[in-house]
Amino acid sequence: MSDISKTKMEQIAQMWNARGKGLITHMALDIEDVSSEGVRVRMPFNPDFCVDSDQTLLHGGILTALLDSVFGLANFVSIEGVSTMATLDLRVDYLRPARSRSDVIVRAHCFRKTRHIAFNSGSICFDGHEDAEIARGTASFALTRGDVSLFDAMTKGKTRD
Amino acid sequence: MIDLQTVNANVSRVPFFRFLNFEVQSLDNLHAEAEMTFESRHIGNPVMEHYHGGIIASFMEATAAIAVHPDFADVPAKPINLTVDYLRPGMKGPLYARADVTRKGKRIASLSVITWQIEREKPIAEGLYHFLLV
Repeated sequence: MSDISKTKMEQIAQMWNARGKGLITHMALDIEDVSSEGVRVRMPFNPDFCVDSDQTLLHGGILTALLDSVFGLANFVSIEGVSTMATLDLRVDYLRPARSRSDVIVRAHCFRKTRHIAFNSGSICFDGHEDAEIARGTASFALTRGDVSLFDAMTKGKTRD
Repeated sequence: MIDLQTVNANVSRVPFFRFLNFEVQSLDNLHAEAEMTFESRHIGNPVMEHYHGGIIASFMEATAAIAVHPDFADVPAKPINLTVDYLRPGMKGPLYARADVTRKGKRIASLSVITWQIEREKPIAEGLYHFLLV
């Protein structure tokens, strides 16, 4: 975590906690590790996200949503001066049935950034079962850069779009 | 062919489908159409109040799973993978999805899914989904 400034870490935590509504709040995500190499985020088990009546099998869609969210965080961490960020496309492979009541761990990083586009890759597993990946995803994001930072837009409601 | 009322009763038994809050509106052997109601828990961008991209992809996956296996007893059809192209932001308001079965073999089904809001000609996202039928 040493290569990320304390101020930026505080901003990141504030940005996610200040949302107060929406899916990210509902997923109750906890940022566990952040560096320019990538991010690691934990999602506690939530029966609302299951497909079966026993509530032990997560729907694939929530894994897709998790990857999309955590890619956004990875971009925010590794790219300076991003004003807006929009997912262009997303591919997800469901590698195993997501059957467990354990917390979900997502690892994601931005493997290439240009002026306009960011490319991401990420992986999901259950806590304590790091050897059994349940999903893997790649995505690309369209970026705009400007003097209104994404952080300001998210926390103070300023945006140019 | 299974009737819509039975399908929607099956849908309401799936916790995550209740979280998405959608209703199947038309269905045959080759397609399904559904409408999702906007909820604050669907928001991805809290400032603009746009849908979260993951919620859009989840709704598309749910509609595709119903098109491929509408009379599921407990668990919906098993997804293998997906690709989604995000074309426009999903604004506050109802979202519609249509899933078309491109090919349904013995083991694998391929579907294309489109989602829109005001006009079908201005899609919010398009996707390709694969399901395992065994």
